[in-house]
Amino acid sequence: MTDELYASVHVSEFPAQALLRLRPDLKGKPVVVLHGEAIKEVVCSMNQHARRRGASLGMTRLDAEGIAELVLLSRSPQGEEVARTVLFECAATFSPRIEDVSHDTSCAFVLDIAGTERLFGPPMQFAERLRSAMENVGFHSSIAVSTNFEATRLKARAVRGIVVIPHGDEAAALASLPVAELPLDEKRLETLTIWGIRTLGELAALPETELVTRLGQDACKWRDLAKGTAAHTFQPIEPALSLQEFCAFETPVVRMDSLLFIGARMIDCLVTRAAGHALSLASLTVMMKLEGSRIHHGKIRPALPSTNRKFLLKLLQLEIAAHPPPAAVISLTLTAEAGLNSKVQLGLFAPQTPEPSRLDVTLARLKAIVGDDRVGSPELDDTHLPGSFHMTDFTVEGKVAGSKTSRVRMALRRMRPPEHVRVDLHATKPAYFRNREDNFGVIAAYGPWKTAGCWWSTEGWDVEEWDVLAVNRNGLTVACLLAHDRTHNEWRIEAHYD
Amino acid sequence: MTESTDYVELHARSAFSFLDGASQPEALIERAIELEMPALALTDRNGLYGAARFHSAAKNCVSKANVQSQIKAHIGAEIAISSFGNKLQPPEWLPHHHPNEPSRITLLCATQAGYQNLCQLITRFKMRESTKAEGAATLRDLEEFSHGLICLTGGDEGPLAAALAHQGQGDARKFVDRLASIFGRGNLFIELQRHQLREEECRNQSLLELASYLHLPVIATNGVRYATEKDREILDVFTSIRHHTTLDQAGRLLSHNSARSLRTAREMSELFRDIPEAIANTRIVSNRLQFKLNDLGYKFPHYPVPENETMDSFLERRVDDGVRKRYGSPDKRHLLDKARAQVRHELTLIKKLGFAGYFLIVWEIIRYCQQNGFLVQGRGSAANSAVCYALEITAVDPVGMELLFERFLSENRGEWPDIDLDLPSGDQREQVIQHLYERYGSLGAAMTANVISYRGRSAAREVGKALGFDEDQLARLSGLVGHWEWRGENDTMARHFEQAGFDVRHPRIAHYLDLCMRMQNLPRHLGQHSGGMVICAGMLNHVVPIERASMPGRTVVQWDKEDCADLGLIKVDLLGLGMMAALKDSLELIPRHYGKQVDLAALPEDPVVYDTLCKADTVGMFQVESRAQMASIPHNAPKHFYDLVVQVAIIRPGPIVGKMMHPYMRRRQKKEEVTYPHPSLEPVLKRTLGVPLFQEQLLRMAMTVASFSGAEAEELRRAVGMRRSMQRMKDLEGRLRSGMTGNGIGPEAQDNIVQAISSFAMYGFPESHAASFALIAYASAYLKVHYLAAFTCGLLNNQPMGFYSPAVLIKDAVRHGLRVRPIDVQRSQWLCSLEEEPDRSRSLRIGMNYAKGLRQTSADAILAARNRDRVFASVDDLASRVPELNRKELVLLARIGALNSLDKVEHRRDALWQVEEAGRPVGPLLHNAQSASNNATAPMPLKRMTTDERLAADYAGTGLTTSPHPMAYQRAVLRSQGILSAEDLSRATSNRFVRIAGCVIARQRPGTAKGFVFLSLEDETGIANVIITPDTFERERIIVTRSRFLKIEGPLQNQDGVIHVKAHRITPLDITNADIRSHDFH
Repeated sequence: MTDELYASVHVSEFPAQALLRLRPDLKGKPVVVLHGEAIKEVVCSMNQHARRRGASLGMTRLDAEGIAELVLLSRSPQGEEVARTVLFECAATFSPRIEDVSHDTSCAFVLDIAGTERLFGPPMQFAERLRSAMENVGFHSSIAVSTNFEATRLKARAVRGIVVIPHGDEAAALASLPVAELPLDEKRLETLTIWGIRTLGELAALPETELVTRLGQDACKWRDLAKGTAAHTFQPIEPALSLQEFCAFETPVVRMDSLLFIGARMIDCLVTRAAGHALSLASLTVMMKLEGSRIHHGKIRPALPSTNRKFLLKLLQLEIAAHPPPAAVISLTLTAEAGLNSKVQLGLFAPQTPEPSRLDVTLARLKAIVGDDRVGSPELDDTHLPGSFHMTDFTVEGKVAGSKTSRVRMALRRMRPPEHVRVDLHATKPAYFRNREDNFGVIAAYGPWKTAGCWWSTEGWDVEEWDVLAVNRNGLTVACLLAHDRTHNEWRIEAHYD
Repeated sequence: MTESTDYVELHARSAFSFLDGASQPEALIERAIELEMPALALTDRNGLYGAARFHSAAKNCVSKANVQSQIKAHIGAEIAISSFGNKLQPPEWLPHHHPNEPSRITLLCATQAGYQNLCQLITRFKMRESTKAEGAATLRDLEEFSHGLICLTGGDEGPLAAALAHQGQGDARKFVDRLASIFGRGNLFIELQRHQLREEECRNQSLLELASYLHLPVIATNGVRYATEKDREILDVFTSIRHHTTLDQAGRLLSHNSARSLRTAREMSELFRDIPEAIANTRIVSNRLQFKLNDLGYKFPHYPVPENETMDSFLERRVDDGVRKRYGSPDKRHLLDKARAQVRHELTLIKKLGFAGYFLIVWEIIRYCQQNGFLVQGRGSAANSAVCYALEITAVDPVGMELLFERFLSENRGEWPDIDLDLPSGDQREQVIQHLYERYGSLGAAMTANVISYRGRSAAREVGKALGFDEDQLARLSGLVGHWEWRGENDTMARHFEQAGFDVRHPRIAHYLDLCMRMQNLPRHLGQHSGGMVICAGMLNHVVPIERASMPGRTVVQWDKEDCADLGLIKVDLLGLGMMAALKDSLELIPRHYGKQVDLAALPEDPVVYDTLCKADTVGMFQVESRAQMASIPHNAPKHFYDLVVQVAIIRPGPIVGKMMHPYMRRRQKKEEVTYPHPSLEPVLKRTLGVPLFQEQLLRMAMTVASFSGAEAEELRRAVGMRRSMQRMKDLEGRLRSGMTGNGIGPEAQDNIVQAISSFAMYGFPESHAASFALIAYASAYLKVHYLAAFTCGLLNNQPMGFYSPAVLIKDAVRHGLRVRPIDVQRSQWLCSLEEEPDRSRSLRIGMNYAKGLRQTSADAILAARNRDRVFASVDDLASRVPELNRKELVLLARIGALNSLDKVEHRRDALWQVEEAGRPVGPLLHNAQSASNNATAPMPLKRMTTDERLAADYAGTGLTTSPHPMAYQRAVLRSQGILSAEDLSRATSNRFVRIAGCVIARQRPGTAKGFVFLSLEDETGIANVIITPDTFERERIIVTRSRFLKIEGPLQNQDGVIHVKAHRITPLDITNADIRSHDFH
């Protein structure tokens, strides 16, 4: 007699059940759940009513729409995550030792229920109570109970309702299950199929030595699984490391000092907890609940994961200074993402670079002043659009600046933003232009230099540029680059030639 | 004031620069005419791919006012030069994805010698590559082939642009000096282009300095890549496709602007107003370009003849021998004089036109085939020629059949003769091709090209990729593009897009749709034609550039079949015909297994064969086995060879659309009176019961009623058929009518005749071609009826071919009494073979080539081990004696029952159980121990396969079964449900409501059938035909297209032995899990 006893709860068609538990209005209606991006969505789960109407897994949206009265829902990973938590919490009221055995579109747990008889009654009663509890939280489930972990798991997937397998009857209970329930690769499954071995019973009946000779040592494991005698090391679910701190204020806080005082304490706690797992903080998400039920967010991401409390606090201070909350704060939540402790390898001959934390602080200060998208290193885009670039994170690459002597070229001083002007044309050439305070007569105009692109999108451009030498009434001569945006029919001075 | 004729564009690429130009050559010509340009030069990248079409477009161009326009088509090319370094790329500090490519100069053909040099130059560097590749010329190549060419230094892809950007004037000067020394100072022009780009202008100033310093002339070009500004979009898409990227990612690879279109003289003069000589020089150079593509300098190939002979006399002698041989037999002797007169007539014309060499070349091919035992037969209009018949090029007797020579060759036609040869597909055809390469040299013969152009699906796919749609979206879309032949009213591209879930109003989608439409028919790349070969002993590379094909050992000219024909290049089509190979194989098997010799050239007219044809029992027979042929052949009821000629010709889209089929069939069945448009036409139309069916009849009609000469009649046929020129048509109709009036034919009869000629000229089929095909059709029917085993073996060994899958061919052969044996490692060869049964009858053994996944090397090893030693004693013996067999192959052989005859193998699963052990070889130490354990008699743990499992294994492993048909196992149940078999249908009365069931072996939705769908359902007794109306098809589309077995309910239609069931209800049936494939015609 064994001391082990397991109960497996199996919720099939989980994506559909996770959605339908909150939609009582759809009870009794055929429902399918579609997965994938728009256009290429396919049915990944459905209820019985939909199956009866002819819906099938893998069906495209177009095909599914062809079935009358079928309700089409989109898959919700967040909803499934919540539903999984609900299921887990429900199961946890029956046993503290639970292993997640979810597979594909099902959600399944195996509970170690040895010694629970006094609490919940004999196995059948336990199973009924567990199933009923699952019903109460909105899930139809099947339950199997046996003294073998794998037999319990396999049987729960295959049955509807409740099955209690007496000790010693595992092989008989599993005999009718298809061999596809075993963890076989495609090649092995094909071999068994062409052998005519369709059920676990047929597999269990094959002579062990001959089977191992033909399929290798794994065959032993499959045979044990088929006979309900496979051993299993239970791996209970451990709560995941959640680096989150929360503080609700008794009175709304408006002063930054007060916020930082609490924030410093929270960072301390987060750093200590992360360090307990030999981790650092890779990022910090700040969420403030404000008066009037509004939420204010912020994010800090140091260049390297860090456990330096002062440094992290400084970044928090700069973040709050750059994006101050628009109203008094009711509560503060700091959520950290853990990262591996990192060390920077310095080179003996590499140039001196700023310490990463100090650089982070400096960049954060700059961002606080000029805005996030205006700090970093500019990088030219691969496009003909004049002056097109994007900002990348500022990094010190350690390259020594080249000593190439280039030819003396005329320098172009870009105007950002460009200055709008009014232009008078003479025979398609600019003859006069007027900026904010002055009129200029064009002495010489070279061009137009034409560029047009991105015609396939809404970001297309069509620009003509003129290199212009002009003079105003006071004799001031300017050499500038006039651009005509033909899409919007606008003229502007893009740059001056130095 | 600038004259519109002052500027000539001398540097224009077309879409024949393959993804580097965006307009058809015709579009460039059309645009140049609009811009009143007096001339235009086509300079495609590394080739003359578009030159023929460019030349023809210029020759045939008609302005909007419908007036013939004059435009000179200059020929040239951009040539990559490896010695000048790579072409210009953006500077290093700018992000870009430009690949390294050699710089290119522009060469223009001033004279015929120049053109021939350009062809040789391109051929030289293309053939230097070991595979199909762009290639690049060297300076030595240029030196060798520079005469007669004018060189422009190129635009931004030229060597000067790169040199100036990298090394400044020094290198550029060196390059120019080098080019000047090669081409001569008078033939070198510094090319200036202005596309409103600063960098380009900077370069132009340097080039002007260079030109001034070296005293070289400058010339303006626009480096044209498309006809109109709007086409820049297509060029950008092509650029993305060429660089395997998306438009969003292509960046600087794309065009700066839309300035590379054809521009007016005024625009160009304005752009170059500071350098007027650059514009003036375009006109000067254009005037110097005297070469036109119709001065190719192509000469008929020469055939080597003995010293005291000319080609004409040599041909005459060969023909004379042939006539005696062909018409010397007693049954043909009465035709001898007529034949002699005919060949005299033909030879006179051949001599006059100088075609003797061509006939001798084709004769030599025939002789080569005969010497090597290859079947060969000419098809097409060549069968109208008694000379071709005498030379054994064709097998149809034109004298006996009174075929019309003028359809093949006439004096005024201005076209070369065109002879197509059918050869057995596969190795033998390849041997003939290689023989021609050997005989005429690698520069004397080449395949014609096949221009692969964008079509609906390929355009949708590639534009979608360029616009950044992901793989799934593209697959979805291209899957939706209609591929059945019939196109419904709603089968538009916009509709497909909507079906795929794309919003056609979205700008990107709208562009997608627009681009897909505009890209239709633009060339994508060059392939090789399946059989067209151009021969020009020793000098083909003077006429057209030759390059490597993707297939090893093949070379290809840069023009397709039509281009070659337009420019008068002689070609021979060496077409691979699966049936020829099947006939050849059958003829080899017959003496060995039947002890008889069969001569295809002397097959008797056999009533048994015609009876079989009349019953539409034609599965596997050439040309008459299709569903449509089967439905019409009982109406035609062929009794003589000529009936078969008509049968082959009449089931074609042409005669069906031209509404010729039904009148003929009604007259054939005596349901309609035989009438003639005029009594004088009775001799011409008598054989086809008054219904004009063949092109030759059109010619004869014109010759009879209007006294047209053969050449005039042929001109009339072409004019009516092409519908190109209304004026030409009117002239010919006038001549036709006046001729008829002269012959005393009244106006009413004239109208009838003109009407008859017009209505079928578009669709008529050449009688000679039909006769050639009918010969093969009759041969196939004869062999099937009398030598079923050999014929079926021949068919199975030359798949894929024909209308039916091997599974259907086998079941049909079994129904006709052939025993078919499964694959057996102890008996099977690699190919299917014949075996002698104990009762001395013949059976067919399926070859190991039908075991899907068995490598030929493994099968050869099995055969070698079996032949060397003895048959295999056991599975273990097989595995140990044939170590080439891997586990997968052993499993496959066991699964399909190929090991069942081995000792100690009781059934397939037994073999499977054994091979799993035998397939895992052990080391020598344990080998003996394992053998001992194998000998132990343990009970077999696996069960025998069920019938369905056996069927599934057969179809999965071989695509066919030698066991009874899957439907046979269900017959009792089906009968109890009142379901009739295919055989039962012939006994059922017409219009009776019946139920049938079967395996779908073919689905068709022909373009000529107005949306009707035709299914062929097979069961163990035969094939039943089902018609599905468009409405029913729309309702049951999924079931019809996806189900392997169907139950059909509906009324039976039996018209003179042609039996159909018109489907009212269609239900899928679950008969077996076997993967049986239908042959669907798209």
